[in-house]
Parts: sequence; C-alpha cells; structure tokens
Amino acid sequence: MSGSICTVLRLVKKGAEADIYLTTWGGSRAVLKIRKRKEYRNEVLDNRIRAQRTAREARMISEVKSFGVSTPLVYFVNQENFEIYLQYVGGMLVRDLHGVAIVKLCERIGRMVGILHKNGVMHGDLTTSNFILSHGRLVILDFGLAQHTERVEDHAIDLRLFKEVLNSAHASIVDSAWRSFLRGYANSVGTQRLGQVLSQVSVIEGRGRYANVV
Amino acid sequence: MLCLGIESTAHTFSCALLERRGKKGRILADVRRIYRPPEGEGIHPREASRHHAENSPHVLSECLASAGVGISDLDIVSYAAGPGLGPCLRIGAVVARSIASYYGIPIYPVNHALGHIELGKMLTGARDPLVLLVSGGHTMILAFLGRRWRVFGETLDITLGQLLDQIGRYAGFASPCGPKIEDLASKSSRYEPLPYVVKGNDVSFSGLFSATKQIIPGGLETACFSLQETAFSMVGEAVERALSFTGKKEFLVVGGVAANRRLSEILQSICRRHGCRFFVSPKEYAGDCGSQISWLALLESTRKEGAKLEDTFVRQSWRVDSVEVDY
Repeated sequence: MSGSICTVLRLVKKGAEADIYLTTWGGSRAVLKIRKRKEYRNEVLDNRIRAQRTAREARMISEVKSFGVSTPLVYFVNQENFEIYLQYVGGMLVRDLHGVAIVKLCERIGRMVGILHKNGVMHGDLTTSNFILSHGRLVILDFGLAQHTERVEDHAIDLRLFKEVLNSAHASIVDSAWRSFLRGYANSVGTQRLGQVLSQVSVIEGRGRYANVV
Repeated sequence: MLCLGIESTAHTFSCALLERRGKKGRILADVRRIYRPPEGEGIHPREASRHHAENSPHVLSECLASAGVGISDLDIVSYAAGPGLGPCLRIGAVVARSIASYYGIPIYPVNHALGHIELGKMLTGARDPLVLLVSGGHTMILAFLGRRWRVFGETLDITLGQLLDQIGRYAGFASPCGPKIEDLASKSSRYEPLPYVVKGNDVSFSGLFSATKQIIPGGLETACFSLQETAFSMVGEAVERALSFTGKKEFLVVGGVAANRRLSEILQSICRRHGCRFFVSPKEYAGDCGSQISWLALLESTRKEGAKLEDTFVRQSWRVDSVEVDY
C-alpha cells in the first residue's frame, strides 16, 4: 500500500463486495475500496473475481466519465492488492432519501442509465444505494459488475434489477418511481429503444419462477 | 388449536399435526412418503401424483395414530395450494377438501414457500430475518416489509436444487441428487474454472449447468467440487449484497438445499463478517413437509376464517411475494 500518500484509514462500510475506507490521497479526501479475500470462496475463483472486478471498475469509471456521466475520480489502482482509491463524494445515498425525493430523482437516474446504455455500457448493479445525491449533483457508483454490451437483453437486466429494488426496498412508491425512471430513460434512448428493452424485461420476468406460467 | 397440514407440491406427500398455543407451536406428528423416480430420471408429475394418491390414506392414518388424535379433534385442516406441480397439488387438495366437507372442519389453502419461511422462523426463533429459500422449486432471498415478503434477489432461470439434481441425473443418479453431489465434492479440492454469474442481487445458473456437464468427463468429483464452490459462492454473494442493502441482523436459510453442509459453512462465514445471527432450519424440517403447511395455517387462522369450499383451488405458479401477510 502507498502509505506515504494516504494517511488515516477508517472503515465506513463493509459492503457485500468490498470494504470501503475513508482516507486521503494527495491531500484530498478519498475513499479506498478494497476487495478483500473472501474466506468462504475457493481461492482460485476468489482471485479471479477480485482481479476482474477491480480492473473492470477502474476502467469503466474512467470511461463513462467521457459520456458525461458523473462518477468519482479514480486516483489510483493497485491491481495486486485489489485496491482502488477514489474521490470522496459527500452526500446522501438515494436509498436513504424520502419517497417524494426518490420519485423525482428516478427520472434523472433513468436518464443517466439511458446514457450508459446508449454508449454500450451496462452497469450490472443498479440499486438505489449506488447513487449519491451530492450538492444537487447525481453521482453513480460501483462499476464492478459493469460490462460493455449493446444487447437488449443486458440492458433489460439492468432495468429489471432496478425495478426489483424499487419493488422490494421502496414498495410504497414503486409505481410512480418506476414511471419516473422510464420517462428519464426514454429521454436518453428514445421511445423505440425503450419499447424493445421493456418488452425484453417482460421476457426476463416471464422466465422467473412461477411468474404467470399458467 | 390443532391443525392437520397436507403437503404435496412435488416429490413429497406428507401429513403433519401441529398444535398452537399463543405464538408457540408444537409438532405432534409429521409423516412423509417420498416419490423416487428411476435413476437418471427426473420427477414425472403423473407418476408422482399417482404415488401421492396411493400413499395418502396410509400417511394420514399413520399421522393421526402416532399423535393419538382422531379426525374429530381437528380444529382446522390445511393444504399446500401452490406453487408446485398441478397433478401433485390436486391430490393434497382433494384429501383436505374431503376431510373438511365430510367432517365440517374449516379449510385453509396456503402458500408452500411461505410455509418454509414461517416454520423456519418458529423452529429457530428468528424474529426478523433475511431469508434464503433454497430448494428444488426456489432460489430466493426475501425480507419482510410492509405486510409482504419482498424478493431481494432470486434466480433468473433454474433453481439451485434443480442445478444439483440435473447434474446428478446427467451423471446417472436418482434425484434428489444433492446429498450424492455433496458427498462426491468432498472427495476433491481441485477447482476447475466455471462461469460465475451474479447480476446485481440475482443469480443465473444455466451457463454453469452447461459448463459443468462439459467438465464431468475430466473427473466427476472435481466437477462436483467446482460446481458446488461456484454455485454456492454465487448464492453467498447475492446474500451478502442483500444483507448489506437491507441491514438485517438475522439470517435464516430454509428449504431442501439448506441441509448441505458446505452451503451452510459459506453462509455462516458471511454472517460472521456482517455481524449477523445465523439460523438454519433443523435438517428434518428443512425440506418439504406437512409441518410447514400446518403451522402457516395456524398463523393465518388467527386473522381469517377458513376458505369457502368453492375457493379451494390449487395454483401452480403462486409467487410468495404476492401473498398478503396480516397475522
């Protein structure tokens, strides 16, 4: 670890995939994301997953910036230790905002996701805890599961996951939030593409267990 | 209050008698007969339902006899109305309706998956857990919110139980193949790379299934080991994501695959990492059984009357997240 540049480490979140520490980098507040060894996972498999996701996340975050999507800056990547130093973004997770605010923000989230898709990138983990509202600016996080893909199926998977999250964690506002999201999404990709992706969402839902088979 | 529960969603026909006192339940009897298809073959709905029909009188009498209870002592009767295989579901429903109409006992059609969750909670004492339901019919991560069990993640195609069963059958075993695969996997520690597909909180096993079949010729034990490691890690990661998203402090695993020791070990390690209490259904009641049906009906009877006979349908595809919970 580059101990000379970064200083204090404070664990702020034990995520599912990585641990998040608050630190500094070159004098600015920074976030250190470490994909720690998961003891329960076979070592060969674990190393493969951690290496792949660290590299992918660093690359994708930088790349989507060029589309005009707000993401934290990547300061430094240590591929051997599966570490990424990122710009610290202060603010609230969209998940923790109140219902009315979430519904409104969903339109901007939809627009942002639409921009990613239009540029051939799927996020892979679209949850309301991966968006931060920072001084009025919407910032998207966590590109460890992102992929380059133009496939309708893959874009539909993104939408389906977001819908599932609204359905489970924001059940009381799911309908209006989902409409708001789709409005924003259509704004970026156009209504024709929206139609294609949405019909694929239904196909995926239909594949689910016990989803209106009979 | 005394309830007879009848389970017949898939390979198991089971009758159980449970008694409820307040929030406490006691299992007086739980009798099962399991349909076994020939080696290398899967469950045939018609054959399974024939098995259930032929065995139902014996299972019922044995259940009543072992609890020392007569039919007239029953307060309510319940059956699994879905989700499951139509022909199998209908046998349980017919038995329940016959008893209800002949003896004039209130009848409760209940959701099989919800039964797994509620019985698991009752037996382990978990209060507000994140639940992993893993069986032949389900691979789902659920949490209770706003009067329903909400799905936080699930399989996008086949279930974990199906994956293990289908690989086992491909290798020539009789289903359920989980225990056989676990046994073979424990004899190897060589990991062959297999596709690992986690999409957000969801998992997809179809690619893993095809790839595992291809490495079987290189060694069945290695294939089983690699399959278990990959599939269980995928489920583990999805659980970790849901735990970190919901912030739940309890975790409960239920369903037939909950009996797998390696899966349990992985889930326990995850719970330790997240400072979360780990609960698992006792092995005997993890899989399909009448107790889960009986206990759920006992809970539902605290809030609602029995169903009208003309409403006692079966529903093959009855998702657990569509059930309103008001007890």
